[in-house]
Formats: sequence, C-alpha cells, structure tokens
Amino acid sequence: MAIKRDDFPLPDVDDPLTTPFFAGAARGELLIPRCETCGEYVWYPQEACPRDGGGLTWSAVSGRGTLFTWAVVRRAFLPAFADRVPFVTALVALDEDPAVRLCTYVVDTAPEQLVADAPVAVCFRPLEFTTVPGRSVIVPMFTLT
Amino acid sequence: MSETADWGHATDLDDIRAQVAIAGIGETAYTKASGRTAREIGAEAAERAIADAGLTPSDIDGITWSGAFADFDVDAFREHFGTSHEMWTSPWGGGMAWAATAPYLAARAIREGEARHVLNVFPVAWATQRASMTGGPGEVHAAQSLKQNLEVPFGWFPQPVYFASIMRRHMIEFGTLPSQFGAIAVACRRHANLHPDAVMHGRPMTLDDYLAAPYLAEPLRLLDSCLISDGGAAYVTTSVERARDLPHAPAVVRGVGEGYSASGTHWALQRAFTTTPQVFSAPRAFAMAGLSPADVDVLTVYDPFTVVSMMQIEDMGFCPKGEAGRFVEGDTLFHDSGKLPFNTHGGLLSHAYVLGIAHVVECVKQLRGVAAAQVPNCEVAVYGGYTGHMASTLVLTKDR
Repeated sequence: MAIKRDDFPLPDVDDPLTTPFFAGAARGELLIPRCETCGEYVWYPQEACPRDGGGLTWSAVSGRGTLFTWAVVRRAFLPAFADRVPFVTALVALDEDPAVRLCTYVVDTAPEQLVADAPVAVCFRPLEFTTVPGRSVIVPMFTLT
Repeated sequence: MSETADWGHATDLDDIRAQVAIAGIGETAYTKASGRTAREIGAEAAERAIADAGLTPSDIDGITWSGAFADFDVDAFREHFGTSHEMWTSPWGGGMAWAATAPYLAARAIREGEARHVLNVFPVAWATQRASMTGGPGEVHAAQSLKQNLEVPFGWFPQPVYFASIMRRHMIEFGTLPSQFGAIAVACRRHANLHPDAVMHGRPMTLDDYLAAPYLAEPLRLLDSCLISDGGAAYVTTSVERARDLPHAPAVVRGVGEGYSASGTHWALQRAFTTTPQVFSAPRAFAMAGLSPADVDVLTVYDPFTVVSMMQIEDMGFCPKGEAGRFVEGDTLFHDSGKLPFNTHGGLLSHAYVLGIAHVVECVKQLRGVAAAQVPNCEVAVYGGYTGHMASTLVLTKDR
C-alpha cells in the first residue's frame, strides 16, 4: 500500500483539511464547513467555496439526518477490518443540507432493522482498530431515532 | 432528463461523424496472474493491432495511452519497435472512459494533418501485481487524503462498498431486485462461455448460482463484481478513406460523446447517486451519429459491477430511468435472441478486467462479423465508458 502512516486506517487528525472535523467530534460537536459568503455547506472540506470562492467556517449542525444508503460489509478489504466484519457502513444525509452526506457507521441496530431514509442522530464514539493498538479517535457515528 | 441538467454537463465536441474508422485491432491473452509486466502486454497488443491493420510500426505516427497508467507510452513504443520517427501523442487515451474518446482525439489529429495512423493502447497487469500486493484499484483510491480521513476509517472503502451502496439506493428508489442484477451477470457469463479467450470460459453460471454467491458487501455479491486480470488490447484509427485501402472492413466512428458530473470524483457525494453522466454523453453521441438507441445492434458498457451496467442501460436511453431491472430480465441481453445484445464478450465481469479496451475491440469484431458470440446482421455497435464522475460514448457502424 501507498499508505505510510502507522495509525492507518484511523483518520489522520493532523491533516489540516479535516482537523476541525475530528476536533469537533472529540468535543461532541458535528462540524461542517460553511461558506461565509453564500451560507451554503461545502462538503468535502476544501480551501474555499466552489460556488463563489468565499472563505469557509466550520459550523455546528444538529447531527440529525436520514439514512441515505448502506452496505453490510462481509469481506474485510483491509486487514484492520478483519475482526469487525460484518459491519454496517452508511451514507447519512444531513437535515441541514441532504447533499452533505457523511460516510459513517450506523450502530446499535441490527442490519435487518435498517430502513431507507430512516431518521438518524449523531453520537460520538471512539474508533479503534486492533491493528493499531493503544490508539483511538472519537468520530461521529449514527443511531436510528 | 431536464431534472438532471443541474448536476453535470456534456463536453462540446466537434462533429467528427464518419471521418475516421478503426482499421486494426489487437489483443493479448486475457488471464489471471501471468507474471508479465503491463509494458510487455502493451507491446504485444500494439504489435497485433498494427499487423491486423496491415501496417508496420513505422506507419504509426500517432499514439494515445492512459496517462494515469502510463505502462505503454510513446517512449515504450519507440523502445519496443526501435523507431525514432516523429509522432503525435496524447496521454488522454487508453482504457476506461477514454477508450471511447481516443478515436475523437485521433480524428482531430488526422484532420489537422498531424497523424495518419493513430494507435490507442491499454494494458493492465493487476492480477500479477495483486499477487505482490502492489497496484490495483483499491490502492489508487486509498492514497487520497480525503478518502483516508473521511471514508476509509468508516469502512466506506473500496469499490465494492461504493457500488453496494449505489445498488442499495437503486433498489430503494426503483424497486430493483437482486435477480435483476443477476440477469446481467448471467448474460455476461453466458457470452464468456461462448468466447474461448474469456477468463471465465468453461465456468457456466445460472441465476441460482448468482443468488447463492457470497456477499462482499450486502447487497453486492461476489458475482456482481468484475475480475482482476492481466491483459491488454489496442486499436488503430485512421481516416475512413485510408481504412478502405486496408485489409479489414472499416469500423466507422459515427458518434462520440463525453459527459461529466459536477459533483466531483467521490462516489459518496454524487448528487445524482443512481444516475451516471451517460445522460449527458450518450444523447450527444447518438445525435452526432444521426442514430438512436433503437438502432443499436450490440451494446458494450464498462461494467465493474452489475449496477453500473444497470444504470448505463437506463442513462443511455435503452429504457426509461428506473426500469432497467425489468428490462434486463430473461434473454434481453443475450447475443442471439435478445433485443439488446450486451457485453457479448463477457464484459469486465466474465471476459477480463482490462478496463474497457476489450469492449471496443468486441464492438469492432461484431461489425466485422467475426465475434465469438456474433450478433446477426450487426450494423451498429456502441461502447459506454464510465469512470464515476465521467462517462463517454462511442458509436461505431459498418461502412455504408
């Protein structure tokens, strides 16, 4: 693999483009960049608003959304996931702007109980991999509401 | 398609209708891990395409390849063939979506007098590379920092997970059934079993086999997924007039299209999540050709997963959006009895994962009447290319 970090696949919390996202999660806040000029959310994070070049400010959102789609992963595509399968990885569309979709885990519900477009709410949980012992990062996950 | 117009666009292309033709095709063996390098494979495909066109390497004065996988570029060409003559070049050819648009680049170069015979070549050795844990579709993606931080940690990786998610949403929005995705896989396997060169030749598969296959990421099964292969192919484009002097009947380039999503390259963020940019590309290609989907005798599309075929069949206009599930059931896609003969070589699912270049070669073979699973009276052959945020369309016809 081209990945050199020894904590992969944990997120790199020092990557400047996404540092505020993980710092917010550690404080229990879901933050999404928003354009200072047009007020639109911009996701994924980038240097400036693609619509008008405006500066971006990380803004707290409600953490409420809907379950846009999901997959029940049964094959571990990376060694770090070998002891996690099967697990549900999902795209959650945020209520503030459904075009903002977060890749996330849906937790505390059996896969067969999941329903399309069901309302979900954020929770903040430590993400750990046994292949990266002793390290964890608080990340946004979601539960059905 | 008006509701889709805000999420992407078609590229404005010059009208090149019936100006150029594919005059030569060449293929290597398609295999599991061969131990060969992509450069060796590319050289062999190039040799065979040039010979098939009745030309010599010194006649080739233009070459296109894929800049992202520059295994057989102009330097490799010169070294392999021992030539030093001036050549028109572009790294915007090769496979995937560019397997459809390379003839457009060639047409412009030929029209401007910059080249007469343009070789497009694409080899891949991912089966061999996988054995040594380098290369392959996952590694390309894992190297991107936004994916590393916002997708991979959440298990939203790699391609089978993206397309399982798209498949689920297609099922949610349109009621598409697992057996309907299976119908695509079964048709591809049926064709591969008629094709001695296909990797999955001799491995019959029924719809029950499909439904019994393990999930990689539910609802996506192993048999929804492409192979990982070694192999390559190449083709030679020249003017229609010149092609008529060469040994094989020309496969005339009658229409080309190219479309882009405005939602960037990440699958998670595609605003039109269950629609491909074929909605922008295919209508332009058909308009240039003066043809419609109803005129198509054989369709090949870039098919890394069955849902990509499902979406492109809809988005290219072969059935209304959301109805491909019902459309593909039964024998619709079969080469001999179906109303839309589809991936008649077996596609990426059952022929080989050589990223679309073999799809274009199959179109040419169908027009020549020499395909392994030959469509009767094949006059119009279309390739649909796809790379996520980009799609392309190539309409080829017999010379008439």
